[in-house]
Amino acid sequence: MNAFLSAAALLFFPGGLSLLVSGLAYEWADRKLLARMQNRLGPRWFQPLADVVKLLSKEEIVPYGANRLIFNLLPVAALAGPLTAALYVPLFGLPPMYSFQGDLIVVIYLLSLLTICTGLAGANMASRFSVLGATRTLTQVFAYEAPFLLALLGPAIAAGSWEIRSIQAFAETRWLLLTQPLGFLVALIGLMGKLELPPFDAPEAETEIVAGALTEYSGRGLALFRLGKGVEMVVGLTLIAAFFLGGVGNLPGFLLKTLVLLLVLVTLQAVLTRFRIDQVVRGWRWGALLALLQILVMIIWG
Amino acid sequence: MTNPELISFDSLLENGRSLLESQIIEAQTPEPGRLDLVIGPSDLPQAVQTLVDNHWGYLAAITGLDRPESSEVEALYHFCSGPAVLTLRVRVPYAEPALPTICGVIPSATLYEREFMEMFGVQVTGTPDPQRLFLPDDWPEGVYPLRKSFNPQEKVPQVKPKANGDNAGRYIVPIGPQHPALKEPGHFEFTVNGEIVTGASVRLGYVHRGIEKACEERTWTQAMYLLERVCGICSNSHAYAYVLGVEKLAQVEAPERAQAIRELVAGLERIHSHLLWLGVAAHEAGFDTLFMYSWRDRETVMDLLERLTGNRVNYSANLIGGVKFDVDDEQRRTILAGLDYLEERCRHYLDVVSTDAAFLQRTRGVGTMTREQAELLGVVGPTARASGVDRDIRVEAPYGSYRRFPVSIVIEHAGDLEAKFVVRVKEMLVSISTLRALLDNLPPGELVARVPRRIPAGETISRVEAPRGELFYFIKSSGGDKPERVKVRTPSICNFGSVIHTAVGHQFADMPMLLAGIDPCFSCNDRMIVVRKK
Amino acid sequence: METRINSPWNRLMDQMKAWARINSPWAIHFNSGSCNGCDIEILATLTPRYDLERFGVKLQGSPRHSDVLICTGPVTRQARERLLRIYEQMPEPKFVVAVGSCGLSGGAFQGCYNVIGSIDEVIPVDAYIPGCPPRPEAIIDGVVKLLSSLKPGAAGAQPASNGKGMA
Repeated sequence: MNAFLSAAALLFFPGGLSLLVSGLAYEWADRKLLARMQNRLGPRWFQPLADVVKLLSKEEIVPYGANRLIFNLLPVAALAGPLTAALYVPLFGLPPMYSFQGDLIVVIYLLSLLTICTGLAGANMASRFSVLGATRTLTQVFAYEAPFLLALLGPAIAAGSWEIRSIQAFAETRWLLLTQPLGFLVALIGLMGKLELPPFDAPEAETEIVAGALTEYSGRGLALFRLGKGVEMVVGLTLIAAFFLGGVGNLPGFLLKTLVLLLVLVTLQAVLTRFRIDQVVRGWRWGALLALLQILVMIIWG
Repeated sequence: MTNPELISFDSLLENGRSLLESQIIEAQTPEPGRLDLVIGPSDLPQAVQTLVDNHWGYLAAITGLDRPESSEVEALYHFCSGPAVLTLRVRVPYAEPALPTICGVIPSATLYEREFMEMFGVQVTGTPDPQRLFLPDDWPEGVYPLRKSFNPQEKVPQVKPKANGDNAGRYIVPIGPQHPALKEPGHFEFTVNGEIVTGASVRLGYVHRGIEKACEERTWTQAMYLLERVCGICSNSHAYAYVLGVEKLAQVEAPERAQAIRELVAGLERIHSHLLWLGVAAHEAGFDTLFMYSWRDRETVMDLLERLTGNRVNYSANLIGGVKFDVDDEQRRTILAGLDYLEERCRHYLDVVSTDAAFLQRTRGVGTMTREQAELLGVVGPTARASGVDRDIRVEAPYGSYRRFPVSIVIEHAGDLEAKFVVRVKEMLVSISTLRALLDNLPPGELVARVPRRIPAGETISRVEAPRGELFYFIKSSGGDKPERVKVRTPSICNFGSVIHTAVGHQFADMPMLLAGIDPCFSCNDRMIVVRKK
Repeated sequence: METRINSPWNRLMDQMKAWARINSPWAIHFNSGSCNGCDIEILATLTPRYDLERFGVKLQGSPRHSDVLICTGPVTRQARERLLRIYEQMPEPKFVVAVGSCGLSGGAFQGCYNVIGSIDEVIPVDAYIPGCPPRPEAIIDGVVKLLSSLKPGAAGAQPASNGKGMA
């Protein structure tokens, strides 16, 4: 019975299918809000779903010079990472499905799997644009992993635990946004960098290197990468909301807080110009420093 | 009635003539403001050196003329200083088609020389880059499209192109001809070391349609419709330059009201072109919101143009002899209201490009070109004015109704991308105020003057300030109902050299922005290759 | 074309695929030598007044990510190779829209020495949108008509390339 419930949870709710659906829903919200800010109408509600179905039904072309096995496996791994990370994160107002001491670190590494797979996908190709995109992606990942990790360490230290469930319980007692504002900022921008959201979309800068690391993917592979990105966005927002915005213990709270964070992300997308890759990296020395500073403050002042 | 300009350019031309006295074989004054000096091919480099040493103007274009009746090809080197145009004419026989290069004196002449070589089959000895510019890779040798002997109706065979394999060891990232950054095809190759550009080259010709040749087969009126479509963005400028030239040949002046309406359409076109460019450049930078907003506001201009002319693009406002339509009172008021809205928006954009921190990170100090470089590279238009070079045909050599409704010149000195943005936005504001003055004082009168079907024989030069810079037309008639020769030298060809020069040393991510900074129009071009491989 | 078993499952799959293709047409734009007039009107369709994104059209940079090739221009000799290469890189099913008079017949440039003429001399075309240039509304109309023709059972529901690449 327990196995059956676990399977259902993994496949349908709160994992698996519901995650994929919510990934699509958040992608829609992102595009719609951005469009409205740009004075446009924007896409219809089922647009991301149509995009995914269309991609799945398109011919997949394996470019000449690419390792076939890696080419086909990378998108799967890219989706698997965030889906697995989601198991340890409090989604939809429910406590995390699984939990153990140290799962915070595991989750953060699982979340970086998507970007690393993107980078590897680009490196696997013979195309110049893909390789350039891969270089940029991997550079950006290195630039953002450290600050993101450090920023999330703040609440962990405050709560005195490495377990997401416990950190959330602690975070519910006070809004860490107020006591760790720097950490919050760094975490949010770190998430944007990991997801390659504008203005941190230098790795896939359309006007410079066509489509970056994923230039040569079409069909199924592209669909999986996109789904992975949607899921990662949901998981990332959940984590930040859980830690800094006083926990996401109930469904309305979860929805409200993550959507508010999404609104902040979209606003930044709309009003800022894309940063050049060297500016991105340069700027992130500050990010890491600020996060460290935040932790120091925390440790000293308890 | 003595025209003060006539006096000033007469003295300029006298000065030029005296400098070259020793080399002149023959001197002609085909029209007011022009002096043609026939010199021998061997004297050419020295003559050019003399002009450059004495800072007499700048090289505007090199026109080629085929003279089958005397089995010669003639090359015309046009130098412009303010309203005066001094042309050095050199003839070479078919039997011995060779000319010395002037690239030692004027490096940017390489583009003109290459075009001349491939179109007329004349060897320019010593030119640094003899490669093809516009003709496709599979074009056979020995076929020269602009010679009279070439029949465009005959199919030209395809030839296997030569492979050039000297790219080993360098990492090259191609941009174009199909690339999101380029709305028009043009093939750039940047040699990169990591993210730094170490070399750049351009291959054009993807939009080369053979328009100059096609004009020779169409009547004067038909040619106008073709020339309007050289470029959809500055369509009116091309038509304007052309009809001005033809009218000069026919010795007909368009009525005052028509001239004012021409200036009106030209001004609106400038606004539409600069807003278009602002949006596209913002899109290149990754600032899509600015792209959306500026194009939304651009719709206002498109609406005004549509009300006036019937089409949003390719408005076809000009006729040889005048304009096609009138501006009635209601249209006047609509245009004024539209201009009010645009002025408010332009002020906002000026604010954005000067103060938005994230945007400035991509534009301030990027792609800087000093005044000396700008003059050496022969750039024109807002690209030049952003580096402090005060070149604007509407001010230096006013045509049409620009004497009556003048514009003020907009100059910045920083020479970087930010300056280029600021210059264009300010130019929009200047256009708006000029158009207001124009609409408030629209002269009464006819719209068209009669022009004969056969245009009297002669040669004329017509220069207008298109949104991208100086547009140079050379038109020759042999008395018939079709043009003998139409030569189009567009502003973008002058400006491409500056991109190749400033690209080296920059980040690769800056390349689309650098290119966008000169507001490139490949359609206007069909030609251009500057090769700098390291 | 292979025969497919007309089972309910296959019918459902076909309908879903058709629905997705109609509602998510990702486009790539190529200028094969045009004066730019059509291209700027195509770009204008992305801007707030016309907003093609509400039809699901997104302009892509890579041919591999696109379903629809929006092509302008009378195809100069130099551009021909590139056009073919882009078309070949696009995965099936793919559609081509020729925009502007030049794309249909060479337009004003018929007879010019460097111009091939219409786009369908180089690649198969599914929809033609005339105009010099066509208004953004006309472009949207053409795209919508193309999409409507993809509904299963509608006339012309197969791409001109017949699903095999080059016709």
